[in-house]
Amino acid sequence: MNQLPTTTGKVIVCDGNEAAAWGACLSRPDMVAVYPITPQSSLVEYLAEFIADGRMDADLMDVEGEHTVLSVLHGAVLAGARTYSATSAQGLAFMFEPYFRTPGLRLPMVVSLVTRDAVSPTCVWGGQQDAMTVKEVGWIHMYCETQQEILDTIPIAYKVAEHPDVMLPVNVNHDGNYLSYGVARVELPPQSVVDAFLGEKQVNWHACLDPERPMAVDPLTGGAGGIGPSMFVKYRKGICAGMQDALRVIEEAHEDWGKRTGRYWSPLIEEYRMEDAEVALVTIGSMTGAAKDAVDTAREAGRKIGLVKIKTFRPFPAARIAQALSKVKAIGVVDRSVNFGWNCGPVFQEVLAAMYAQPVRIPMMSFIGGLAGADITVEHFATVVERTFRLAGGETAAGPVWLNEND
Amino acid sequence: MGVAFDSISFKASLCDGCGDCMTACSEAKSGASRISIVPGAKAGGYEAALCRQCGDPKCAQVCPSGALDKDGGNGVIGWDAAKCVDCLLCTAGCVYGGIAVDPNVSRVAKCDQCDGDPACVKVCPTGALEFRKAGSIFNEYGAKEDLFVPGLSGCQGCNSELIMRHAMRKIGRNSVLATPPGCIPGMGSVGYNGKTGTKVPVFHPLLTNTASMLSGIRRYYDRIGRKDIVVMALAGDGGTADCGFHAVSGAAERGEKVLYVCVDNEGYMNTGMQRSGTTPYGSWTSTTPVGEHMKGKTQDAKNLPLIMTAHKCRYVATASTGYMEDLYEKLDRAIEASFEGFSYLHIYSPCPTGWRIPSNKVIDACRMSVDSNFNPLWEYTNTTGLRFTHSPDNAYPITEYVKMIGKYRHLSPDQLAHIQAKVDEQVALLKLMAAESSPPPAAHRAPAGASTPAGAESSQPARREIARN
Repeated sequence: MNQLPTTTGKVIVCDGNEAAAWGACLSRPDMVAVYPITPQSSLVEYLAEFIADGRMDADLMDVEGEHTVLSVLHGAVLAGARTYSATSAQGLAFMFEPYFRTPGLRLPMVVSLVTRDAVSPTCVWGGQQDAMTVKEVGWIHMYCETQQEILDTIPIAYKVAEHPDVMLPVNVNHDGNYLSYGVARVELPPQSVVDAFLGEKQVNWHACLDPERPMAVDPLTGGAGGIGPSMFVKYRKGICAGMQDALRVIEEAHEDWGKRTGRYWSPLIEEYRMEDAEVALVTIGSMTGAAKDAVDTAREAGRKIGLVKIKTFRPFPAARIAQALSKVKAIGVVDRSVNFGWNCGPVFQEVLAAMYAQPVRIPMMSFIGGLAGADITVEHFATVVERTFRLAGGETAAGPVWLNEND
Repeated sequence: MGVAFDSISFKASLCDGCGDCMTACSEAKSGASRISIVPGAKAGGYEAALCRQCGDPKCAQVCPSGALDKDGGNGVIGWDAAKCVDCLLCTAGCVYGGIAVDPNVSRVAKCDQCDGDPACVKVCPTGALEFRKAGSIFNEYGAKEDLFVPGLSGCQGCNSELIMRHAMRKIGRNSVLATPPGCIPGMGSVGYNGKTGTKVPVFHPLLTNTASMLSGIRRYYDRIGRKDIVVMALAGDGGTADCGFHAVSGAAERGEKVLYVCVDNEGYMNTGMQRSGTTPYGSWTSTTPVGEHMKGKTQDAKNLPLIMTAHKCRYVATASTGYMEDLYEKLDRAIEASFEGFSYLHIYSPCPTGWRIPSNKVIDACRMSVDSNFNPLWEYTNTTGLRFTHSPDNAYPITEYVKMIGKYRHLSPDQLAHIQAKVDEQVALLKLMAAESSPPPAAHRAPAGASTPAGAESSQPARREIARN
């Protein structure tokens, strides 16, 4: 699905954090608020550098913490600005209070999550525990596989966030360490292409703080009696509707981006060698590359295996996933984080729920790998492939399998 | 509404009989003084005979020639020398002794308030004489639009509602207002269920992020050239001193062009009167109760306005609704400063419900909190430093303040002594800062003549001792 970059833009070699910074730069945000945290720090350093050099015409807000990062952006969006920021793990945790209210206010903004395992035990390396922990808040979550996909997904995310049918914040997630510091060839689309793609910003037409258009933003809603609870329900249902509409808008935005740049990324899920697959792997994020190699190796050995990569995790493309996986005999889901109350990975649980609507039960197994910045190697995936085939052969699933337990 | 005018007020308790006012008046008017300091009914006390510029002036009523007349513009009773027949009936008609006779020329000497800058007030070393401009300010404010809806659900006598309505009258419609969780949104400033309580754009930040959200709004408006909008908070002390402090401190450090008003009612009053970082030592609150093992709050309050001066804010001031004219002047300066940098106004706001004060005593408590130095009034700019806007000398003892307030009812003598000591310590520090940053006040000239009270020449602390006894 990932075509080679067209040569319409400048080609650079950069890591994932710089790719994200370029994605933001090309999207022309008015305001950028930053606070550094590993493994995101170099991303905000790039932003600061771009602004210092005049490459990026945005107001840089160097603030005292992530709580304020998101808070100043709330104010800016309500005043009419397009905004951008990025964070990780503890920063996201400290940001949680304003994070929680962003979708409730229907503020369209884009924030990159450079995913990381969350303390304790203290750990500053990659993982997806941070992003997975906030999946129920109302932000759209998209996970990227490569540096180029990071760059391209950021303008796409603005297009989705600001769509009148969506009006929700978007997290564009890329794996800390692996993608944040890993270097690759990346093509920068010309500014004119991104400008034409994004068009006029549509940020605060629905709620604003402007003396020329006075309104109360976020009045106390709910309570017993009157229209309170029904109004609150209306708001909640509105977010749900925006999420469901986003499934369509995300596909449209990816399609439009593909036409303009020649890069057609899979918007919701990517099906890899699934045509006649008897066994399927499900992956998310940067691990997908190694998984595809493992699939190729297995295919060369004559084994019918395919892969489904999840790009859009919220809204969860349940129907598409069920459709893609409905004909296989076993499914192995690989997570980079832990769902503590379910003794499995969170993506596993989501796929399990999506598959429940199918007429037949397909055996599934949860694999957890890549914690604490560990690489998920082709060897790990060989294990995943092997266990999933054994599952298809009738072996009882006992999960989760901790892939880097002995690394 | 009625019309009110500026007037010269006299506080007998502060007068030490030095007579400087009389000297200044006769110098300014080149004749007899139009104000007289006379021995009071109490031994050692003084009273002033001065023109009250009565609303129903007897002097004018008894004047047979129409030489005396009240000016409808400034309220001053004017004397027309050409019409006067020198009968001196007016001096008999005035029960206050407000019109004197100048023996040198045998004509009346009538106070004209020196065109709004009375010489007597300027020289009074004790603050006994004060030119009160509140009257005309209220006239001006009465004519301005109230930017909150009628019927906000504040408690009876709520001082915060008074602050909100008056502050927003001054600031006007070209503003964006943040009211973080607390009494101010609790009484409906942002509104309920889709309805608004304010006529300007208003929002409900989080308790923790008021200054941050305002920074974002202001930065963007500056970016697009809309620099004349006042971006401001009406925040409580909890959201400012405690969980919101990082945001306030960060915005101040960055010099964000924000007007931040902290309405300090010394606790989380909206949610049931719990303690905050600005709750003073010894206070009863629902989380610092009075019982066998605990007698109210065991820590001193953090002095937030003083902390803000250390942030080199463009403007920092303390204010009180007990001194509205002072508050209005500070609002003017705070608004102006907010276009240049972080502007912080800390307004003390007694809470009748949470502090256990009768609602009709709130303003008295405001005034006494200032007069006892519990909450001294001062202002600071990052260029001129700190100056008092109300004399911290001749303060009442702290007991006069705490006895008005139910939350201090249980205080032991030790606790009272602690509070007095902390108040003295704070005033000493502020005085040090004021002395470092502005020229010292004019020396107090030694009083002359038999009317000199004992101890008048002694130092300022001694004067305070006299006041306390």
